[in-house]
Amino acid sequence: MNQATDTAPKRKNDRIGLILYMIYLAMLLASIVLIGKIVYMQVVWQPDEKIYDPLTPRNTKKVLEPVRGNILDRKGRLLAMSYPVYILHMDCTVGKESEWQSKVPALAEGLHRIFPEMTAAQYGKMIRQARSKGQRYLSIGKPIDHKTLNKVLQLPLYSEGRNKGGLIVEQKNTRRYPYGTLARRTIGFVRESNPGVSNNLVGIEGKFNDILHGKDGKEWFRQTDKGKVVRNFDSVYVKAEDGRDIVTTIDIDYQEIADKALRAQIDGNEDIEGACLVLMEVSTGAIRAMVNLKKDSSTGRFEEIENMAIGRRHEPGSVFKTVTLMSVLDDHCIKSLDEMIPTNHGRISEARVDDQHIRDHEAKDRTSSISVIDGFKISSNYVFAKLTLDNYGGRKVDKLMDHFKEYGLTSKFDFDLDGLQAPNLPRPEHLSDLARVGYGYATELTPLQVLTFYNAIAGKGRMMKPYLVDGPCVLDKSICPAAVADTLTRALKAVTEDGTAKWSLQNCKVTVAGKTGTSFGTFPKGQRGSDPYHDPSGRRKYQGTFVGYFPADDPQYSVISTVYSYPTIRSYQGGGIPARAIRALIDELYIIDPYWQEELVQCD
Amino acid sequence: MMEGLQPGRRLAKVWTLLKNSLVAIVKGQFLLRLNVGRYFIHVIFTFFVLGAVIWASLQIDTTLAKVEKNKETLKEMEILYSEKAFDVATLGRRTTISEMLKTMGSSVTEPEKPAKTVKK
Repeated sequence: MNQATDTAPKRKNDRIGLILYMIYLAMLLASIVLIGKIVYMQVVWQPDEKIYDPLTPRNTKKVLEPVRGNILDRKGRLLAMSYPVYILHMDCTVGKESEWQSKVPALAEGLHRIFPEMTAAQYGKMIRQARSKGQRYLSIGKPIDHKTLNKVLQLPLYSEGRNKGGLIVEQKNTRRYPYGTLARRTIGFVRESNPGVSNNLVGIEGKFNDILHGKDGKEWFRQTDKGKVVRNFDSVYVKAEDGRDIVTTIDIDYQEIADKALRAQIDGNEDIEGACLVLMEVSTGAIRAMVNLKKDSSTGRFEEIENMAIGRRHEPGSVFKTVTLMSVLDDHCIKSLDEMIPTNHGRISEARVDDQHIRDHEAKDRTSSISVIDGFKISSNYVFAKLTLDNYGGRKVDKLMDHFKEYGLTSKFDFDLDGLQAPNLPRPEHLSDLARVGYGYATELTPLQVLTFYNAIAGKGRMMKPYLVDGPCVLDKSICPAAVADTLTRALKAVTEDGTAKWSLQNCKVTVAGKTGTSFGTFPKGQRGSDPYHDPSGRRKYQGTFVGYFPADDPQYSVISTVYSYPTIRSYQGGGIPARAIRALIDELYIIDPYWQEELVQCD
Repeated sequence: MMEGLQPGRRLAKVWTLLKNSLVAIVKGQFLLRLNVGRYFIHVIFTFFVLGAVIWASLQIDTTLAKVEKNKETLKEMEILYSEKAFDVATLGRRTTISEMLKTMGSSVTEPEKPAKTVKK
């Protein structure tokens, strides 16, 4: 390195140069110290563990919650959606005493305005007591929405932030249902894991939980030199995948009408345990309304707390006679509905059948025979026991069982909701059992399975799978010839025009083809000898059903309603509450459904 | 330069070089002695670039902080939108509309017969 000796003399008496030189020296010394310190800290120094964590800026991981998908009705109206609620707590230990105390009255007044459950004085007392006890997590009010949170954040003390005001805000995502309890059991819900409850995934929410939920993401954050928290672009970022929306077949207007129609029939009736009503589109199997009302034992009100339409399997009663009639028509056992059958005073002793309706018929018409259609209209057990025994007795019973299989009555289909009960149609071993099968006992079906069968008749034999989300799907292209379906429609129309459903469906705005049915719930054996259908007081549990489709000549919708009673001495037949509820539903649908709207052609 | 020298002389040469460098640093003449005056503009530019990098880094942090704040605002807006959508959906119920019309004294009620639609 060369020596620069020529510059030395010039520095003498150079005051500015000296000052600059001193500054330079100072900076040089400082840089030496800094470098030394850095080396020392990197190599030798061990920080105190107590202060290491708080003083070290670090990456923090945040799980990105996906937005849960909405559930929509068929017209895109929101049935279920998510937004957060805010839960408020207060750290009462922060802030200077005098300043804090002076702001409490105004805060208490503000809290009273927002949460009027308590007076301002009560709020003030609660907060002051919490401070004296050193409480750092005092619960304030109830969960609130964002709009209300903004009001809370304007209150004295709380407006000063977390550290000075002590307000702790926790956000919690919640599911909201704009239509309240309408179709609640069908829309469903997801319960937080509860060991005491076996089913935490209910309805569409539960069945399609994976699709609705989406996938969690993750993101890392770091602190800037100014103490702000920003995303760390050097770390892994996984975007949250929001849940997808689900469009259901439910029409919320129809659901509301159905709900209202059913409630009008059962509200205030102490004998009724519950009732259900399902409305389905004939051509597709799309369920437009599914009402399940069960009496809440704590409130006495009817609420959507059990899906009876799919979860209650019971003897269908006389609505099953249509199955028997389809079988005998299918097998050409009878040539027409007008074929006559001897009445025998309504008795078949070997099968223990005794039908008072037939004796009434004999007396009224002074006759000893009855046509099949008349037997169907009055829902005669004798007629259908006889048809079954005559045509499927002995070795032919398997033929009847094969028909049940062909009609899709022996197995359950894959439904969009969990909990659909499998049907139970055991092979009858005795004549009396076979006779009972003929008129709808000794078998068990859910209301939805009965409806699916009737929907197939309305569809000229084509059986559609009922669906709420995934569909349409054909279960069977033809369970019976179209001619058989037409004949059945004639019989079902006779029931509503001149049979057991006549009084309820009289003057209905639309022609309905349908069948009433009543069965009885069973009691544990031994309560009243060998009779399982009565309790010791002689009361019965009724299950009254009406099922059918409309308009009868060009079916658009099929519908079923079943009412369940507590043990009672009153009678709850299918032609009563269920038929009246369906009639009220049909009368309102007639007004709003596009099928019945008249089109006017505009002329130029 | 020091090839072929004996190890003792080589060490002395290195010591002289270090001593001169140290003295030059103390005197503030290190860069001048290296004769890098002709690259002065480059040195200044390097310092400027380093400064600019530090400044840009701080600005990026500030911008990222703003981004996070905006995200929060956006999230709030989405929540408010959801709440409004909920309120509107609640009001869309047929019975609610009927009750509101009744409260307002309107004569509009549910129709009694199907509508007639005009087909063009």
